[in-house]
Amino acid sequence: MDALLQGLQLVFNGQTLLVILAAAAFGIFVGAVPGLTATMAVALLVPITFYMDPTPAIAAIVTTSAMAIFAGDIPGTYLNIPGTPASAAYVGESSLLAKKGRARETLGTNLVCSVFGGLFGTIILVFVSPSLAEVALKFSSYEYFWLALLGLSSSIFISIGSKTKAFLSLMIGLLLSTVGLDMMSGAPRFTFGIPDLMAGINFIPVMIGMFALNEIMSFYGSRVEARTPPALSKDKVFGQVPSHVKRYWRNMLRGSSLGTLIGALPGAGADIAAWIAYAAGKSRSKDKAAYGTGHIEGIVDASSANNSGISGAWVPALVFGIPGDSITAIVIGVLYMKGMNPGPTIFMEGSGLVYSLFVVFFVANLIMLPIGYLAIKSSKVFILTPRKILMPIILCFCIVGAFSINNSITDVWIMLLVGIVAFILARCDFPMAPAILGLVLGTTLENSFMSSMLKSNGDLLSFFSRPISASLGALVILIWCSPLLVRLYQRYRAPHTNHTPRSS
Amino acid sequence: MKDMILGLCFMVAGIVTIYVARQYPTMPSLQFGPSLFPSLIGGGFFLGGLVLAATQFPTLRQRASEGRVAWRIDYQALLIALLPCALIVFYILASDYLGTAICLTAMMFVLMLVRKTPWLLALGVSVAASLVIYFVFSRYLLIPLPEGLLSVGG
Repeated sequence: MDALLQGLQLVFNGQTLLVILAAAAFGIFVGAVPGLTATMAVALLVPITFYMDPTPAIAAIVTTSAMAIFAGDIPGTYLNIPGTPASAAYVGESSLLAKKGRARETLGTNLVCSVFGGLFGTIILVFVSPSLAEVALKFSSYEYFWLALLGLSSSIFISIGSKTKAFLSLMIGLLLSTVGLDMMSGAPRFTFGIPDLMAGINFIPVMIGMFALNEIMSFYGSRVEARTPPALSKDKVFGQVPSHVKRYWRNMLRGSSLGTLIGALPGAGADIAAWIAYAAGKSRSKDKAAYGTGHIEGIVDASSANNSGISGAWVPALVFGIPGDSITAIVIGVLYMKGMNPGPTIFMEGSGLVYSLFVVFFVANLIMLPIGYLAIKSSKVFILTPRKILMPIILCFCIVGAFSINNSITDVWIMLLVGIVAFILARCDFPMAPAILGLVLGTTLENSFMSSMLKSNGDLLSFFSRPISASLGALVILIWCSPLLVRLYQRYRAPHTNHTPRSS
Repeated sequence: MKDMILGLCFMVAGIVTIYVARQYPTMPSLQFGPSLFPSLIGGGFFLGGLVLAATQFPTLRQRASEGRVAWRIDYQALLIALLPCALIVFYILASDYLGTAICLTAMMFVLMLVRKTPWLLALGVSVAASLVIYFVFSRYLLIPLPEGLLSVGG
């Protein structure tokens, strides 16, 4: 109880509340400007949170990411351009609704669904993570090895597009994680005589290069700027929302549950949650034909799912230190910098920090309602903000932000090189999330493997000697075999489906 | 075509990674050491690159038989895309002498002009934004950003 009160005290003070408000405005702005993603917003924010106390720092990240995911719906609705990838799944529905003069009604429904999804995911986070943490206390290096491998494997198999490209992207992240002094032997690896690389590659310049510099380069390479001002509708924001909620409450619940679950899977973020929830909503709908024509039901599932996915991703991040998506991958780094080592012990220390984090989630999702309302009312400002002015400013933030982590120009070089590589790979449809997970989980994977090997004198079978470790190992092997199993199943089903019509 | 070239690049990167990793020592109590993971990653690069290149091969052969292997690159767009990178290199090389504020102003001004922003607006925004960034980071967050020429004046 004392810890809870302490947590409340950490959040409800002038500084933290001010940070939450500022982060909300920043998140709404970045999310609503097409081409600037939620991950980019968080990556740009990290150098500033570096100098804050733990609670305001985490509050800033949580609020920014939640707001940016909602705000991505604003340009999606008015311009048919998703503000963040998480809005892409239902951008067709929302823009068609806007053409019918129902833009504000659509955004109002999006807002309520986002708040509902965010709160649903938070409740799951609050109730599930402490119980999971008790189980995680029994984990040793064997279990952590499998968990890290599970996270990395699912980042490949859940990714959209080519699995080979996801695998290669993961390898890049893993290679970056090996730079620096080896933890076991102390031998320097890939340091090329540069002293700044001895401590390894800091993930923040990598993040900035991968998500911000890459976007800036894409913008300058694309030649697209001019956007015609859309006709802004004058319908009421919340006028029709109660009837939509009454009619589609099942969709909200289904979308939120799916979103939380998918968000909790390592490698799958809010965007994948939204796509899967949209598809699930469509397949279960009584009005399937209306999908794709500007149907409000089409946005309920996915809009709830992307915000619940944000909260869901925090479950494995807090309990095991395994990030659920690229935003929580950044967060894990921030938690380490703030001395809040993610893992089961974070729940046992009895300090108010974990409770303050839970409270921050509730506050961030609740203030989304008034701030989101204001953002919908002033949509035109965000949509018409010229990127030709914003992008150069963001580039300068990138340089100063990368430099400020260690006050070292080497980090600016790292940001530049990673940005160029990310730009080339992104042009060829390589996903970026596996690379980030590889960078964050690479050290855990290698260290847990090496210490397990030292404990067991190099006996590989020891990874299956403990019940939880063996179960996790079996799960990883099952995931690896899943493409083969799916193919075998399809081959088995094919003759059956061919025979059925003939026999009938 | 792009995937084919990238696949070959990954294969070369894999060989280089394995070669570099082989020079690391092994640990006394084990058969392996700090070279294990980099070698596995190098192997992953090689195999992944091979699969990527090999899967492109039939498409490429089909296109070659149809006489359309041409791979168009918009060089002008590519050069403009690389402009932010060139400006970062400019910052790295010149910031110690010119100082952060002047470098950032120049960079923003150039980038805005490239996208046809009216020069007066570009100049105003560049000066204002660089001063805000400089003072927030150097005075509020106490980052030792290079002062350069401004320190001579101050």
